[in-house]
Amino acid sequence: MSQPPSPDREGFEREALVHLDAVYRTALRLSGSPMEAEDLAQETMFKAFRGWHQYEAGTNAKAWLLTILRNTFINRYRRTKQRPEMVDITEIEPYTVFHDVQDASPAQTFFDRLVDDEVLRAIDALPEDFREVLVLSDVEGLTYAEIAASIEAPVGTVKSRLFRARQLLQRELYDYAVEAGYIEQRRDRP
Amino acid sequence: MSDPDAIDCHAAADQLYEYLDGELSPTVESQIRAHLADCAPCFGLFDFEETYLRFLEARTRAQGAPAHLRRRILDELFQHPEQPPRS
Ligand SMILES: [Zn+2]
Repeated sequence: MSQPPSPDREGFEREALVHLDAVYRTALRLSGSPMEAEDLAQETMFKAFRGWHQYEAGTNAKAWLLTILRNTFINRYRRTKQRPEMVDITEIEPYTVFHDVQDASPAQTFFDRLVDDEVLRAIDALPEDFREVLVLSDVEGLTYAEIAASIEAPVGTVKSRLFRARQLLQRELYDYAVEAGYIEQRRDRP
Repeated sequence: MSDPDAIDCHAAADQLYEYLDGELSPTVESQIRAHLADCAPCFGLFDFEETYLRFLEARTRAQGAPAHLRRRILDELFQHPEQPPRS
């Protein structure tokens, strides 16, 4: 049995390596360490190269690479693939800050004041299950179906996690912006 | 007078993110679009959340892989093509 052919350099650069930024960024969000992220991104690309014949042409190569990355991350840290829902956190009542912002500062002010590092820190502080879906969706632009396949969970789970992740992050960013004095707090809140 | 396909504020809010993410069927999407055209509070909410999602994307994508990483990967894979690296 002969090995299936590896991609040529040009093909691999065009189809896979073009997503190295996304793979590295996501590795950084998953691991929290630039050194680990380099390692994970490199291993992901090597695995993609060796498993190139498993990639279905025409499907989203970025989603495929991010799935390899996630599996690499899980194997390396011996995480379990299916983690139990964290009941205390998923039961938090989701709550948009829209009304608070509307009554105090213009929404645009709230978003304009926060810089990259502040937003990334808040994302990194999210519980892992929520951080994962938020990064795949809101940073990397994967569809619900692609995320569901990647994290091996039903689409319904992706939807509910994404909803809570977005609301949780929004609340964190809002509280942070108030505390930092970037925006005014709504008057009738304690 | 009332449109049998019309949806209320609650149904609209329930599908807020699916709408913004483009994950709804064309039928439901147009029901929500119709509601937003008629309902200022829901329009405000949807507009705010859409701004929020665009803001997240804009603040999180500047970070890229270091140049040496890309070089290292290419070197490992294509300097000795007959011996693919075992990581
Ligand atoms: Zn409404």
